[in-house]
Amino acid sequence: MGLESLIGGEGFLTTTVNSIVNWGRKNALWPMPFGTACCAIEMMATFSGRYDISRFGAEVVRFSPRQADLLIVSGRISLKMMPVLQKIYRQMPEPKWVISMGACASCGGVFDTYTLIQGVDQFIPVDVYVPGCPPRPESLLDALLEIQNLVGEERFDSGKHGS
Amino acid sequence: MAADMVDTLSPYDSLPEHLRALVTDQVEHQGQLALHCLSADQRTMLEHFRTQQGYDFLVDMTAIDHLGMDQPERFEVVYVLRRLGENSQLFRLHVWLSEDSPDLPTVFDLWDSARWGERETHDMFGITFEGNPDLRRFLMPEDYPGFPLLKDYPLRGMGERRQFPRVVPRGDQMAEEEPEDYPTSIGRGMHTPEYTEEVRRDSKPK
Ligand code: SF4
Repeated sequence: MGLESLIGGEGFLTTTVNSIVNWGRKNALWPMPFGTACCAIEMMATFSGRYDISRFGAEVVRFSPRQADLLIVSGRISLKMMPVLQKIYRQMPEPKWVISMGACASCGGVFDTYTLIQGVDQFIPVDVYVPGCPPRPESLLDALLEIQNLVGEERFDSGKHGS
Repeated sequence: MAADMVDTLSPYDSLPEHLRALVTDQVEHQGQLALHCLSADQRTMLEHFRTQQGYDFLVDMTAIDHLGMDQPERFEVVYVLRRLGENSQLFRLHVWLSEDSPDLPTVFDLWDSARWGERETHDMFGITFEGNPDLRRFLMPEDYPGFPLLKDYPLRGMGERRQFPRVVPRGDQMAEEEPEDYPTSIGRGMHTPEYTEEVRRDSKPK
């Protein structure tokens, strides 16, 4: 039972290019996991069967940034890791979105020390922050839904990724 | 059996007379022995333990910064030595090291594991090991200017963690912007008085 049986033989739909592209994009986000600490364990739990991020269409985890459009920064980012994170962010093709998962990625968490970046949003743009140490998988799923809302609001002629 | 006799001797007792004189202190804590000596005797002691007593494993090495404490010198470099096999022994050699000339001869020719131990100790405390051919940064980035485990290095660093450019999307291009407050104090050596003064000032709570 697919779309064609709903529409019936010769039926047709009207929509705008904008909405159909956004509909496709938001229901098939390909995440690039940037897991550098304990939050990554919770991210893996979210990807796995019990919480099953594929219910929201984001199960195609890509370990090459060139194939991904959602960067999940989960964990502590140190001085040595920040240039790597920036490089990976820049390697992702547009349009792209970023989730900063956990207290450490969002603001440094309890690690207010010489080597820890106090929030990755200082150096790369972040769309959604997930609070918690670590955030529960439900929180990450909620962030994904939040990203989907953002994607749904995209327009070609304006907005973040408009040209 | 000769092996049993060696086994029962502590690292201190097994030292010949002229080397015992170099041990300034011995401390036993929780069944672990620590011998202390001066930096001038470090090489003699370690060579003896490696070549004459068969301590074939340098488990770890590190340093302690005693700034502001009532101790003979500011730095203490710690070698954890182990002899594997039947006469197994484990003890630490603590070497006092002055703040004015924080350098020691390398021991990587005795134990290969000293290469990384010395790199790490250099990275964290700025102690140099003469003769180590590869004293690059170990944990910190190559261009990191300071030595973060020194007690007078500010916990939050000298602004290094804010020094990255900001990547911002501009249409379909990526642009880089300088962050607003670029650090002013990076790129200095450790042992100049101005640097120490500046670190003390910066590390005071505001
Ligand atoms: S926020 Fe908590 S769980 Fe996440 S990386 Fe930091 S310390 Fe680990």
